[in-house]
Amino acid sequence: MAVLVAVETVVIVLLTVLVAGLLRSHAEILRRLHELGAGLDPDAPAGERERPVALRPRGDLAPGAGASGPAHDVVGVGLRDDAVHIPVVGVRHRTLLAFLSSGCLTCRGFWDTFASGADLGLPDDIRLVVVTKDLAEESPSALAELAPADLPVACSSATWAAYGVPGSPYFVLADGATGQVQGEGTGVSWEQVRGLVLQATGDAAVDLRNEARIDRELLASGIRPGDPSLYRTAEQIEAEHRP
Amino acid sequence: MRLSAHGLSLAVRAGWEGRVLRRATSDERERTYAVVHLATFPMPEQRGDFGQGVTELMRSSDAFVTLFEYGPESLGTPLFAHQGIPRVRADMFSPTRLQRMLPGQLGCQLFFTENDRPFCLYVVAGSRAHLPRIVREVNLVLDGLEILI
Repeated sequence: MAVLVAVETVVIVLLTVLVAGLLRSHAEILRRLHELGAGLDPDAPAGERERPVALRPRGDLAPGAGASGPAHDVVGVGLRDDAVHIPVVGVRHRTLLAFLSSGCLTCRGFWDTFASGADLGLPDDIRLVVVTKDLAEESPSALAELAPADLPVACSSATWAAYGVPGSPYFVLADGATGQVQGEGTGVSWEQVRGLVLQATGDAAVDLRNEARIDRELLASGIRPGDPSLYRTAEQIEAEHRP
Repeated sequence: MRLSAHGLSLAVRAGWEGRVLRRATSDERERTYAVVHLATFPMPEQRGDFGQGVTELMRSSDAFVTLFEYGPESLGTPLFAHQGIPRVRADMFSPTRLQRMLPGQLGCQLFFTENDRPFCLYVVAGSRAHLPRIVREVNLVLDGLEILI
């Protein structure tokens, strides 16, 4: 009897440790999801729950390092026994890289949207390319079912590493002409990601319009490129206006 | 950046898109061989081996290249008598050599054998105005092409 009680106690202790480990692992997953903007907390306010992480400039670059970091071409294998090279840099269009996987639940909504055949509502100059990890890290049969026939899909862990992708789903918008990343981030639905892409496009257009307006105003005032007045420091301007 | 599959290896030029594939078969007795597609513009996923569904999207400055491998039954036939990877010249291009004639486009088809593998090289140029550059760039791709045994 004493032996039975002892065995039972050991089993209960082991199960307790196992359950505690599972709960801790679950909490860690939820925390990571929350960091990626896909928090599953049902008590969170609706607005917060729906809010994705913005397609933001990269924060790991030194100040003044340029736009948002360099973009990279996609090189990997396709789902039809093919080798794939998709240029992202040095092309006339922009590329929206959708980093998805065959196993992530949030990705399923994106796969379904892409396969639905509906208009994705992206600007004409944006090409959508799906990038998964290498086939050894994915389920090839699941990918074959999920991937739409008319969308470029490349399996390339090297591309994930090149863009520093933290997890899936994740989106990177790259400008082919400048070879720079315009923005990156994640979302829980295609509508959110599309909205952020359109916003980024609008912001870029506003920047260009502002630049053109300033150029026009300077030219109208007789200030042309290379004019010394464009290179005055704040101290020089202040000194000129000092009584 | 090199692209390698199905016994072919090539350097893809900056800004070019490339695929090395082999079509799926619907019959166990059927056998398919390597196909290379290269383009200076985004290629649709649904495309024919010789550019059906692709060349319609080309602009005047664009180029599309197919390298299509034939089966061993073609070995030794007069059409594939040329040994070694050929190079293209501007005078090889003509609108009449296109698989599908489209306004302004020019085509070039060359058949050859390399390492006992018979191929057709098919190049479409978007316009004669850009032909010198396209010829130069296609030859650079061919310089880096390796066809393994």
